[in-house]
Amino acid sequence: MLTLSAATTLRFAWRGMGINGMNQRIVVTAAGVISALGIGLEEFSLNLYSGRTAAAPSPRFAGFTVAEIADLDPQPWLGSKGIRTLDRSSRLLAIAAKMALDGAGLETGDPALGLVCGTVLGSLHSITSFDWSGLQEGPAWVNPSEFANTVINAAAGQAAIKHKLRGVNSTICAGLASGLFAIDYAADALRFGRAKAVLAGGVEELCDESVRGFAEAGVVPGEGSALLLLETAEDAAKRGRTPWLEVLGFGCFALHADGAAEAMRQALEKSAIAPEQVACIVSSASGSRTGDEMEARALERVFGKQLAKIPVCAPKAAFGEAMGAAGALCAVVAGLSLHRQQIPPTAGFTASLPISGEYALVNAFGCDGNNASLVIRLWKP
Amino acid sequence: MTRVVVTGIGVVTPIGSGRETFWNGLLAGVSGIRPVTSFDTSAFRVHIGAEIPSFQSQASTLGRTSQLAIAAARLALSDAALEAERLDPGRTGVSIGTTSGEPLYIEAYNNIRKAEGVDAVPAEMMSRYPSHVIPVHIAMEFGLHGPCLTIPTACAAGNYAIGYGFDMIRTGRADRMLSGGADAFSRITYMGFAKLGAIAPDRCQPFDKDRKGMVPGEGAAILLLERLDKAKERNATIYAEVLGLGVSCDAHHMTAPDPSGEGAIRAMTAAMKESNIAREDVDYISAHGTGTLSNDRVESLAVSTLFGSRARRIPMSSIKSMLGHTMGAASALEAAACSLALSTGWVPPTINLENPDPEWGLDYVPNKARRIYPRIVLNNAYAFGGNNASLCLARYGD
Repeated sequence: MLTLSAATTLRFAWRGMGINGMNQRIVVTAAGVISALGIGLEEFSLNLYSGRTAAAPSPRFAGFTVAEIADLDPQPWLGSKGIRTLDRSSRLLAIAAKMALDGAGLETGDPALGLVCGTVLGSLHSITSFDWSGLQEGPAWVNPSEFANTVINAAAGQAAIKHKLRGVNSTICAGLASGLFAIDYAADALRFGRAKAVLAGGVEELCDESVRGFAEAGVVPGEGSALLLLETAEDAAKRGRTPWLEVLGFGCFALHADGAAEAMRQALEKSAIAPEQVACIVSSASGSRTGDEMEARALERVFGKQLAKIPVCAPKAAFGEAMGAAGALCAVVAGLSLHRQQIPPTAGFTASLPISGEYALVNAFGCDGNNASLVIRLWKP
Repeated sequence: MTRVVVTGIGVVTPIGSGRETFWNGLLAGVSGIRPVTSFDTSAFRVHIGAEIPSFQSQASTLGRTSQLAIAAARLALSDAALEAERLDPGRTGVSIGTTSGEPLYIEAYNNIRKAEGVDAVPAEMMSRYPSHVIPVHIAMEFGLHGPCLTIPTACAAGNYAIGYGFDMIRTGRADRMLSGGADAFSRITYMGFAKLGAIAPDRCQPFDKDRKGMVPGEGAAILLLERLDKAKERNATIYAEVLGLGVSCDAHHMTAPDPSGEGAIRAMTAAMKESNIAREDVDYISAHGTGTLSNDRVESLAVSTLFGSRARRIPMSSIKSMLGHTMGAASALEAAACSLALSTGWVPPTINLENPDPEWGLDYVPNKARRIYPRIVLNNAYAFGGNNASLCLARYGD
């Protein structure tokens, strides 16, 4: 009764083309960073390599030690128009997006320009405040424009409106691994041809609710946003842009005693490199005893004796546990390390060390069971 | 590239749980909309919702959304005749779409804050809120280690999560994925939509010229997505094949769609392109169809523009007329309905459709299910943040 259309029968041909797409090299052509350690890549890098830490007792959070961005002024990046309704997460993400877009020299408004944002708590303060105002004053008195900020993807939506990002717009929640999952998701979107360029990374805000709820001995809550502008090597070349980095293999393994090690093994295997080729490791360590010990054991299992020769840094000592933003912030640290051939000091712990090689491994492990690792490489045509 | 099929359907909905109850209810036009019971609505001007009162939350450290999602995942596995122990745990992952995650913890936080002060809030309460706990809880329940994440792209989230599961399998990173969406009934969502004046007072009537709005609901839908060869190996019942996903962002307004429908058109076009099908191949459209005037207008305009003169001959219905708007679960429930439409030949109706809006003259499948033997369907979903996602599914075997 029903006949196949010619288009449907061509599906297999398309699948062949898709496989070619999967072999596209994915590169980073710009990055935007805003964190307690610095605003913009330059300041972030300067403070990171000077061994500074942004952790300090905060008057805003009843004396809790946090790594907060004091006196956040979005105006220089976002102007003054329409920013009143942007909550803190949205502002941080929109600022990082602006930096990355400017750095990449991309025209906004392109329907193939996307945004993939990792986060753990999203706009937690907006959600809580919206509910609180309804509870205190009655549902008739809530502010409808604040309702828009209660969805977990509010920051990604607001940043898209601010910068006319009309392509894939996705938010990724995978605990502390969110930022790396977001980079992998964006890389797939490029490989599948769903986008031509994607801002990928994450955001996390500090607020009363998060500082109270996630205080863990040894861990300094942080905030910020980091976004990498990803595109295919081919497209970057067409635009005459020299990439900063190349994104290689991603690995993830959840809820398993060997999960962190397995994530690293997958990332190395997909990058087709051996453990000894890794020039440096950007660790997920945040000062959490269980988390740090778990990662140390996993590193030993994957790298064995080699580990003594591979410099490891733990930059969360400097910018705090920035949760959804952490993976992308750590990827930026890895990029800086590869370019300088030197890892930054781990604030208050180890000195800056020279490295030698082109591959860096970035880890993002969460004690709640999600683990991700990503290999990035210095760009080589 | 690897082909991906739907071999298990697990649903927990305002019209009942489990594939059969759900599908029979949809084809019979059963409505799950009734007076709200989970909180006091006396301060509101509207009082209806699409809750699942029969689904009692268990006292546990798991939030209601996680509980709904686990129940749906269990139903999906049993529907697929695949016990958890037969899953290859390292090759099976979970991707979940949600609008609000576990919002009842935010509500509890504020309730305690109001009654006893913020210092009385247990410190661990907030740690149960982040939405990534939902797939983690499913993965823990069934012992899975594959890719595990939440995509909280609001009311289009289910499609994004299914698209992610599809990607994980076709790129060889998983053999099976439990993918879908879940949301619990929340006063936060209800307050917001009520304040926007978007909630209908009595029933949900998408595409009726007298439509009065949407109706917030709750639910969960999980599809077991499986690599085709794995499904064949175990002689699984195949409901549908996933062909492709198309996404776009309006970048226009946080809560209102771009009135030109351009974003919706781009998402449908991208889905068809990724699926390598032509416009003529689309036999049925599962509408986002919330019941608001702006959704009805933009979606009807987008479909009319994209499909031209053929638009009027493509049946397009909204099961939100029966289920209400189950938020992050909605497009996953609709993907479940699409899969069943493809495997049974029937498409569900849009109920409460007495005076179809004449403006576009589209076939909204009023009030009665119809047997049209669709081969290829599009599942539309639109969300806050201007997110648009269209998923393309096909009858398996063609």
